[in-house]
Amino acid sequence: MEEFFQQFANGLAVGGIYALIALGYTMVYGVLKLINFAHGDLFTIGAYLGLTVLAALGLTEFYGAVIGVLLVAVMIMGMLAAIGAVLDRAAYRPLRESPRLSAVVSALGASIFLQNLVMLIYGARFQVYPLDILPSTSISLFQVDIPVVKVVVLAASILLMAVLYLFVQRTRIGTAIRAAAIDQGAARLMGIDVNRVILIVFLIGPALGGVAGLMVGLLYGQINFTMGWTYGLKAFTAAILGGIGNIPGAMVGGLLLGVIEALGAAYISIAWKDAIAFCVLIAILIVRPTGLLGERVAEKI
Amino acid sequence: MKRVALFAVGLLLVASTAMAAGPIKIGLMAPLTGAWASEGQEMKQVLELLSADLNARGGLLGQKVEVITEDDGGDPKTAALAAQRLTTKGVAAVIGTYGSSVTEASQNIYNESRIIQIANGSTAVRLSEKGLKYFFRTCPRDDEQGRVAAQTIQKMKAKNVAILHDNTTYAKGLAAEAKALLKGVKIVFFDALTPGERDYTAILTKLKAAKPDVVFFTGYYPEAGLLLRQKMQMKWNVPFIGGDAQNNPDLIKIAGKEAANGFYFLSTPLPKDLPTKESKAFVDTYKKKYRNAPSSIYALLAGDGFRVITAAIKEKKSVDPDVLAAYLKKGFKDDRGLTGRIAFNAKGDRVGELYRVYKVDAKGNFILQK
Repeated sequence: MEEFFQQFANGLAVGGIYALIALGYTMVYGVLKLINFAHGDLFTIGAYLGLTVLAALGLTEFYGAVIGVLLVAVMIMGMLAAIGAVLDRAAYRPLRESPRLSAVVSALGASIFLQNLVMLIYGARFQVYPLDILPSTSISLFQVDIPVVKVVVLAASILLMAVLYLFVQRTRIGTAIRAAAIDQGAARLMGIDVNRVILIVFLIGPALGGVAGLMVGLLYGQINFTMGWTYGLKAFTAAILGGIGNIPGAMVGGLLLGVIEALGAAYISIAWKDAIAFCVLIAILIVRPTGLLGERVAEKI
Repeated sequence: MKRVALFAVGLLLVASTAMAAGPIKIGLMAPLTGAWASEGQEMKQVLELLSADLNARGGLLGQKVEVITEDDGGDPKTAALAAQRLTTKGVAAVIGTYGSSVTEASQNIYNESRIIQIANGSTAVRLSEKGLKYFFRTCPRDDEQGRVAAQTIQKMKAKNVAILHDNTTYAKGLAAEAKALLKGVKIVFFDALTPGERDYTAILTKLKAAKPDVVFFTGYYPEAGLLLRQKMQMKWNVPFIGGDAQNNPDLIKIAGKEAANGFYFLSTPLPKDLPTKESKAFVDTYKKKYRNAPSSIYALLAGDGFRVITAAIKEKKSVDPDVLAAYLKKGFKDDRGLTGRIAFNAKGDRVGELYRVYKVDAKGNFILQK
């Protein structure tokens, strides 16, 4: 039983990161019906920029670990939002009126471009975050050892998602985003600047992906330029699992995928961990083709 | 426009006539991108240095030597395409590549085109058991590595052993070799992880529940580093032994010195532990040019592949693959290789006992175990 709870906790920690990345996929898909394949690479860029900022500015030494990391996180969100906006302007906006497949191909191209850009700038070797930024204490809960850092990361993910959800549900801009998600043409007729809405989506999505990259760097230390592929794929799966286009769905899908993976590895087979996760995905999609929470199509995002 | 086209055709003509009298070409197939890009880029740097040095000393048979590099991306599918491109470029031989599954995808392409291939990091046994005439390798094989691993584990007097691989041709092969050779111990765990992930706590939790006295991980260094680091965070101090793909200073960087302390791994001797003057001199020149010492032994093994084939061409005054392959298998001997003495057997495998056991000390240094 102790092992079960330990594995459950392991799964939640991984799932929190999946969920945070999945939000980026889900937001863009909700409005544009486009799977932004470059999102995983924005996550990678977040991890690398985080390392650069940490090393260059020494904020954690000056302000202490907590405030320092928070400051870095805010800066990363800002930078990634800017990169996201540029990406939209360069790779997606010129194709707004083209068939949807063109935009998908453009997204794949942007992904390859960004991945190799990171490799050329930072080199192909693994980069490592400093070991001692965050305290390595852990709490014991029901005989389960959980590092405090992982709890904080999970809490931060859930907090960010909650803020995003409230933003989309309660603010004017959020209403505009929802309107554009339902029907772009009608939204335009109602006086909503759809291109501006899409720009906002491309500010928020990459910002969250970038923060997830920073979190992975702080948690696991090791980063490299291909890391976005694995995480991107898993987060994309999580977004579909929860119902793509749906913000709480991304949250549920991410956490669920993390837990399924951990428990599948623990009780069935480690080597078949991914296969088990994908089998569950297929099973869920057979029963609920729109994903767990993707029921009312009209209210996506 | 017409004039530009004419000019281009003219250029092509000049280029092709230049090629006819042109340099001796050696291909390099290496993972310049992808997860093993750091290995591949060092391989390329080593070959650039060696070829520049050879050309500065007058080249080969009076001609310049040119290294033509193709990227295999560390991926079997990309490797097959890279191999096909290299076969059309008139190379006398190909050096590379690193991963066994990647080499395997290219072996038959080179063999059918009668091009000598000298792999530098592919240690899977079956690569040289296919009877391919033109296949060689400067790295040893996993059956020898498995033997040394089994010896080391038995020396540690472990009763319960866990073996973890990552489902690649190499890691799975090595795991199976070691498992078959381990007598009198109980294998309490035998499974594979998924490479490229960041969080291995689920796997470590399961491993820990199996209560092994020692864990033998046969995969690559990025995962090994993370396993060591997360194992320490779990406050679990079981000894880990790694295979030769974990011989890379980045392992220490990823794991951190504290977590890597006491980690054992198998490897061909490191450049710093090689007795020959030549390898020391080469490491020094490499340092001068690229500012740090080569981190990977496989880059040096690629360098040895280059040295071997150019020495053979020089000795036989020919680039005919049949002549060269026959000579390399019988009669060739090089006492001054970057990685020690080099000779090949009839299968194209390097002969000699090459594996050593290394242990990481508290400062993160790799210490050769006697």
